Amino acid sequence: MSDTDNQINKLRLELRRGIIVLAVLSQLDTPRYGYSLIQRLVEKGLEIEEGTLYPLLRRLEKQKLVKSEWQVGESRPRKYYVITADGRKVLSALSEDWFDTVEIMRGILQGDNDE
Amino acid sequence: MSDLVERYVHQVGQYLPRKDRADIEAELKSQIQDQLEDRYGQSPTDDDIVTNIAEYGHPYEVATSYSSEQYLVGPRLYPFMMMVLTRGWVIVPSMILFLIVFSTVTSPEAEPFLDVLVTIVVNATQVTLIFSAVVILIFALIERSNFDSDSADESFDPQNLPEVNHPTAVDRTELIFGIAFGAFALVAFLYFLSIGGLTLHFGTQNPPDLVPVPQLWLALLIATSIIMMIVSWITLRRNRWSVPLFFIEFLLETFGVILLYFVFYQPLLQPILNAVPALNSIPFINNAPEIVAVITAIGTLLSKGSTLISIWNYRGSIPLSFSHQTDN
Repeated sequence: MSDTDNQINKLRLELRRGIIVLAVLSQLDTPRYGYSLIQRLVEKGLEIEEGTLYPLLRRLEKQKLVKSEWQVGESRPRKYYVITADGRKVLSALSEDWFDTVEIMRGILQGDNDE
Repeated sequence: MSDLVERYVHQVGQYLPRKDRADIEAELKSQIQDQLEDRYGQSPTDDDIVTNIAEYGHPYEVATSYSSEQYLVGPRLYPFMMMVLTRGWVIVPSMILFLIVFSTVTSPEAEPFLDVLVTIVVNATQVTLIFSAVVILIFALIERSNFDSDSADESFDPQNLPEVNHPTAVDRTELIFGIAFGAFALVAFLYFLSIGGLTLHFGTQNPPDLVPVPQLWLALLIATSIIMMIVSWITLRRNRWSVPLFFIEFLLETFGVILLYFVFYQPLLQPILNAVPALNSIPFINNAPEIVAVITAIGTLLSKGSTLISIWNYRGSIPLSFSHQTDN
């Protein structure tokens, strides 16, 4: 892999880091366990690795944006995550920021080509 | 072969902190089983399991993805630590070099040059390593005490920023160096106190060249060093000198000169004269300790005294105005 490819991959990871938080919070209105959340995001077109998701869920839980509960009634015990009231506030604020940013970035990135 | 999942999860757990281990292990196991079931149905083959687990990577990598970055000394303190260390790496070996050359010259027995050289290299290396360890330990403790924590940022007011060259401005490197060096000197002073005198032979209970010193003055020097380190610590945390703090510093430094006279200058005179009789021909040599003490005291009074007056004159002038003066 060339140096440029490496740089692209590194920057892409940085770019995705914040987006994943938003994506995860947005899907936790109903309780989901890790693997079902990954599948849900994949269905919607966002690939996310297990190694990224689980530590992120724990971090969000520490920040009290999601809460978790072990459920043992199914074929195997699973830890379900659901968004909290604080998480909803954060999600709402970040979603607004996200849409604004998309508009601004479109202007910036496409504006240069227009000139 | 399904015990491969158990083995993998257990290995990941070995790299995790004890308090999170059981929970992360259970979740990881459940996750791998979900994935296997989704991809290969109820009965995955051994190869399926191997392929699946290999995707996760080395257990160590999986475990580290759960931990946040941890520092012994964080990026905020690191530059200060390096400044103190690099300064010490020059000063400490030079000091050892000076002390050993001094003790060799004043020693009544001539030692072979090679022995002296080896002593210098061994001692300089040892003491520099101990100094570095003490400095790193102090910085690790500062890091642990949440020095300059985020809560301090909340009360940040640009108006309170000290002006460049403002008399109350704190030279952090100097203060930290002072604390580190003070801790180092303290260990030596305590050793002198325990054996009842001064020596360059550390680590022996009955050194051959012990110079007796008055224990009371030595104890006072230890107490003064500790108070000076505390004052430096408080100033470091406040990030600014105040009149009372600098006044205490001024008193301690002045008192320190008197203590150094009784603990070092006076007791060392006679052994030096005995070792190098030629020094007796120098006029006023018997008053050398007093002369050194007076010169040091005048230097301290002038430099610290003038700073104290500047700080005194500046008190109450807060909020400080921004200075846009340039020297060019």
